[in-house]
Amino acid sequence: MTPLLAQAGLTQGVTVALVLSAALFTIGLIGFLVRRNMILMFLCTELMLQAASIAFIAFGRMREDTGGQTFVIFILTVAAAEAALALGLVVLLYRRRETLSAEAWQELHE
Amino acid sequence: MNPLGLIVLPVIGAAAAALGPARWAKWTAFVASLAVFALSVVVAVQFPEWRTGNYWPNTNEGGALKAFGVNMLLGGDSVNMLLLLLTTFMMPLTLAGSFTAVTEREREYYGWFMLLEAALMLAFLSRDLILFFVGYEFTLVPMYFLISIWGGQQRRAAAIKFFIFTFMGSIFTLAAAIYVAARAADASGAWDFSIAGLTKFGSESLSNREQFWVFLGLMAGFAIKTPVFPVHTWLPLAHDQAPTGGSVILAAVLLKLGTYGVYRLALPMAPAGAVELATFFGVLGVLAILVTAMVCWVQTDAKKLIAYSSVSHMGFVVMGLFAFNPIGMQGSVMYMVCHGLSTGALFLCIGMMYERFHTKEMDAMSGLARHMPIWSTFMVIFTLASVGLPGLNGFVGEFLCLMGTFVAEHDQPAGYPGVMGPWFAVVAGVGLILGAMYLLLLLGKIVWGPLKVPGAHDDPHEHAHGDKGHGGLPRDLSFREIAILVPIAAACLGIGVYPKIMLDVTEPSAANALVAFPEKVNAWNAAHGKTAPAKVALQAQEVSR
Amino acid sequence: MTFAASMLAHSLTLAPGGGGDAAHASLADAPIVAATADPSLAWMGWVLALPAISAVLCALCAAFRVKNKLPAICTVLALGSAFALVLKLYLARGPGAAPVTVHLWDWMNFGWGGGPWKSFQADVSLYIDSLTLLWMLFVTGLGTLIALYASEYMEAERGPGYARFFFGVSVFLLAMSALVMADNLVLLYFGWEGVGLASYLLIGFYYRKPSAVAAAKKAFIMNRVGDLGLAVGIWLIWVNYGTVEFGALFQAFDDAARGVGGWDRSLIPFCLMLGAFGKSAQLPLFTWLPDAMEGPTPVSALIHAATMVTAGVYLIARMQPLFSLHPDAMATVGWIGALTALLAATIGMAQYDIKRVFAYSTISQLGYMFMGLGVGTAFGAAYHVFTHAFFKALLFLTAGAVMHGFAGQLDLRHLSGLRRVPGFRIVSWTMLIGCLWLSAFPYSAGFFSKDLILVQAMSSPRFQMLGWIGLGTAALTAYYTFRVWFRVCAGPVAYAPGDEDHGHDDPAHDAHGHAAHGDDAHGHDDHGGAFHPHAPRLAINSVLLLICAGAILAGVPGIQALRGEQNWVQEMVSNSSAVRAAGVDHVTEPVAFGMDPHKLVTVFGTGACLGGIAIALWIHLLDRRMADRLRTALLSNGLTRWLPTSMENKWYVDELYHALFRLPAWVTSHLLHFFDRHFIDGLLVNGLGRVPVAMGRLFQPLYNGALQGYAGTMAGGLVLVLAWVAWKWLGATGGAA
Repeated sequence: MTPLLAQAGLTQGVTVALVLSAALFTIGLIGFLVRRNMILMFLCTELMLQAASIAFIAFGRMREDTGGQTFVIFILTVAAAEAALALGLVVLLYRRRETLSAEAWQELHE
Repeated sequence: MNPLGLIVLPVIGAAAAALGPARWAKWTAFVASLAVFALSVVVAVQFPEWRTGNYWPNTNEGGALKAFGVNMLLGGDSVNMLLLLLTTFMMPLTLAGSFTAVTEREREYYGWFMLLEAALMLAFLSRDLILFFVGYEFTLVPMYFLISIWGGQQRRAAAIKFFIFTFMGSIFTLAAAIYVAARAADASGAWDFSIAGLTKFGSESLSNREQFWVFLGLMAGFAIKTPVFPVHTWLPLAHDQAPTGGSVILAAVLLKLGTYGVYRLALPMAPAGAVELATFFGVLGVLAILVTAMVCWVQTDAKKLIAYSSVSHMGFVVMGLFAFNPIGMQGSVMYMVCHGLSTGALFLCIGMMYERFHTKEMDAMSGLARHMPIWSTFMVIFTLASVGLPGLNGFVGEFLCLMGTFVAEHDQPAGYPGVMGPWFAVVAGVGLILGAMYLLLLLGKIVWGPLKVPGAHDDPHEHAHGDKGHGGLPRDLSFREIAILVPIAAACLGIGVYPKIMLDVTEPSAANALVAFPEKVNAWNAAHGKTAPAKVALQAQEVSR
Repeated sequence: MTFAASMLAHSLTLAPGGGGDAAHASLADAPIVAATADPSLAWMGWVLALPAISAVLCALCAAFRVKNKLPAICTVLALGSAFALVLKLYLARGPGAAPVTVHLWDWMNFGWGGGPWKSFQADVSLYIDSLTLLWMLFVTGLGTLIALYASEYMEAERGPGYARFFFGVSVFLLAMSALVMADNLVLLYFGWEGVGLASYLLIGFYYRKPSAVAAAKKAFIMNRVGDLGLAVGIWLIWVNYGTVEFGALFQAFDDAARGVGGWDRSLIPFCLMLGAFGKSAQLPLFTWLPDAMEGPTPVSALIHAATMVTAGVYLIARMQPLFSLHPDAMATVGWIGALTALLAATIGMAQYDIKRVFAYSTISQLGYMFMGLGVGTAFGAAYHVFTHAFFKALLFLTAGAVMHGFAGQLDLRHLSGLRRVPGFRIVSWTMLIGCLWLSAFPYSAGFFSKDLILVQAMSSPRFQMLGWIGLGTAALTAYYTFRVWFRVCAGPVAYAPGDEDHGHDDPAHDAHGHAAHGDDAHGHDDHGGAFHPHAPRLAINSVLLLICAGAILAGVPGIQALRGEQNWVQEMVSNSSAVRAAGVDHVTEPVAFGMDPHKLVTVFGTGACLGGIAIALWIHLLDRRMADRLRTALLSNGLTRWLPTSMENKWYVDELYHALFRLPAWVTSHLLHFFDRHFIDGLLVNGLGRVPVAMGRLFQPLYNGALQGYAGTMAGGLVLVLAWVAWKWLGATGGAA
């Protein structure tokens, strides 16, 4: 694994951060795919978002560019707003169907 | 002074109209649009630098917004200013024309209208490509809502077609523009979207092949907006379905965005491409003039007839633009403004008739000269202006466009060779006859003939005695309606009698737009084996004698 | 009678018809005097301004619903003042002054370097030479008189319609003055289309009659065909000579005469000709003029007989320096003129509507004028324009008086013996003068002017055929003219009123229906009781007498020419751009029947005139049933049936144009409309629009609403991308390793 990354011109510190990011993303993705609970699914998306943030920071650090950190601030803000909105929606949906399963709302696709 | 006020003021007007009380909305918008008009006149009078073909203001300072090569560069030369004045002039009249026609959701209606004006101001004042594009595209949004909320029976379909059709073309325009900017950025190392810079770069540094594709891309959007013949079908539908005010602004100003784009961007930025494609667009222009004129002739709906006539008339502008000589160029600019006045006024007239009879079918009515003499008088004036009667505005532009096309030969001695030549003008000139045919048909069916008033099933004479028509409107035009039409009629007559006032200011601008052309045209003609200097030499000899 | 003719011929033969051989030889090379700018004549701008002011005042009268004769007073005063100004200028300059230009204001004027080909200069400025003045004198003079006549004639329309009428007349005078005084072709084009507009508005004056609306439209559109020719001519002139101003052009033509001309130069006169033929109702664009008789009669007299229709003659006379460079073009003008003269005369013989007979005679006489231009005597043509303006206006005005008095009756089968009807004496006798002048009765003005044209035609072997056509047409002219007079004014008194059907603008008239006419002061009471003709009053009678006097006086230049003196019209023409056609050839060798052209034309012309009148006298006065018997005889014979049928049906030219142009255009338009709606819009545009929809339908099953399904699709896509990247990468490293 390491020689591959080294070959791609990545330094050690960045490698660790990227591996962490990839791991977080994979966990989030798998979690999203296997769970039916809307709150857990939502948490998994947050995990994926933060994985992306870590990657941003890592690359920003590598290229000594503040752009990456700027984007993370954006992501954090958006994620916060999103969390508020999404959890509010989940509560509403729970009130309608008395369940948190995403399958209960499958007919929304039309 | 910064012309930003011309953009901000309509936005404030939009906010005031949309947020204020509903019964004040129309007055708020009307006063705001009048203020914009006054401001534009003040600017035009107080800063006459634009009359010399230069831009006013003449600074290259970007404003507050300055990032990624996009600058808040505002200003205009004579063509910008003329189109701007046309917009600000037509806008209050259009709004006043909507007072009785729009009775529901007034706040939104007038809000959208003022936003539309702001977008148009932005498009006509931008000296930065991206800003222009923002204004150009943003006009779609208010227009979409104006058609889809206050339109006729098929308003949804018309609005969607209008939006998607024109938007689709614009994507190519944007792509072509960004390509030029990217190449310029490659060359200079920094992004800069200023129109002047890109024009200079495009015309001088792009290869002929690149210019061909850039021109085609730019034209994709502008041709649809203009509209040029085979991509015109959104226009009759949109005009037919739009509320009167929407139709007026659509015909008077929005279509001019397309030809303005050709004039300001496509031609100067990719002259070699323009020369390469001139014959193609010339043929399309001729087709537009003839085919749509004939289609006009068999229309039964008065508004559709005028909508198709717009396509036919814009064909003249296209011809003039692709003549590549000052006669055609100035004719096109004249015709852009004049078409805005006369066709806008015709839509207003048809709207006033529609408000009274709730039909636009020409067969449903006849002989309205007896029933509504004042309305008929205006109808005749604007129809004749549209026919291109000398002494009224339409003639100057039409004559110069065709003449420009006529003299656009490879060997003509005007110093501006062209690629089209006499046959294009002669064939397009048949449009003059067809134009008289369909417009006089309109007059003959509606204005002249035995009296027949739609909806009056009993004795029409009894109806004629009543002072009130439908919807609380008087039988003939009200004072408000007369006050709307009189300024337009005065402008039509004024331009027709003294076009010099416009020709003088467009002269330097047209020369600027044509700078790159003689050389490129000569090169193209030489490449196509068209060098016949015999006539030039003969005539030069005569000149010297 | 033959003795008188030969005496006449003798006297004419002795007199050189306008300059001797030597004089004429010098004409062909005569220089065209260059025009000088004369700002001190800026007051001539009032000739344009006065009709414009009067038009504005008439419009205001209409807007404020003025019910009195104010519009007529404004118009007559304005036109009279314009005439006075023209007269003042004429008296100040005399007939021989050099041309001047008067710049009023810049119009279409811009440049990119200046000079020919580097600028386009078409200003509102005037080019005044004696040809201009000749035309302006009769245009404004007759305009004033006819406006005065109309002030009485149009009384029934008082109100907005009255104002509308005089608005049209004022606009016409404005445009016609601009046309004649223009110093460049574009301003001439302005006048050209402006008179077309006035004609449109006035033909369609009774706009409630569908036939009037159709006639107005037809006139405008047919004229537009000609206008396109004129426009193309203007463009060609600019391309070839770099300017459109007359002063510069005439000099350029002189230069060009020595240079080489390409095909596009040769095309110029043909383009201008098309415009002239449209405006002056010549083949192939003549069918609008008879229909134009739907307009009020003063309009027919002023616009469609005396002035506007001569604009084509003016254009060709004005551009004579150009036409003289192109002999083929001249020949074409001559032939078209001659054929039109003949064709129109044959149609005129078979019409029953007095105004239509006169309309066809106008077309026929215009044909003579073009023949004159074509055979090379602009002098003859201009003189014929001048005399024709008077006698044809007179004829139309008398026809109008009859129409006015007999409630719109114009059918010559229903009018008879008018000269014995009280109050119609002046009308009958002035009409007789008009008829004599039109049929070129010896020593009438019409005789002199027609004579000049025919002599010129006979003098040249190329055009002798035209001369014979002209002589034949002269016989037909005399016949159909006196057919009208003998039917209408002579014979026993008998008449039937017409169904007066003028549209009144005042809605009140309409509301009360036809009975409204009973309230008028005219006594058009055709509902019951006896019909009383409504005799013309002071304005109409005095105008008739004045124009009659003018028609008689118009013969003076002819008598001068007869005496071999320099005459006024020739002097006017020879001091203008048409100088090279300002004479008549003086050939003394016999050309046919042992007679020289003068004698030939005099003898045969007199014979044709008297013969035509004699036949008309016989079958339309002495034995009126003879005409019907003749017609029946021709109709009953299968071999000759076509003759009266096609003459009465105007040789089916309208039907031909309908089948050749209007019908195909109509069919094509419908096809194009279908094509536009269903192919371009339906198939291409909407078809393209349906592509994304169809694509969407294709992938719709993937979108079943299950969130994990969507996520799985996305993850699958991601895996695929990653796998592809990894494969490329590993492959690359593998290769390197």
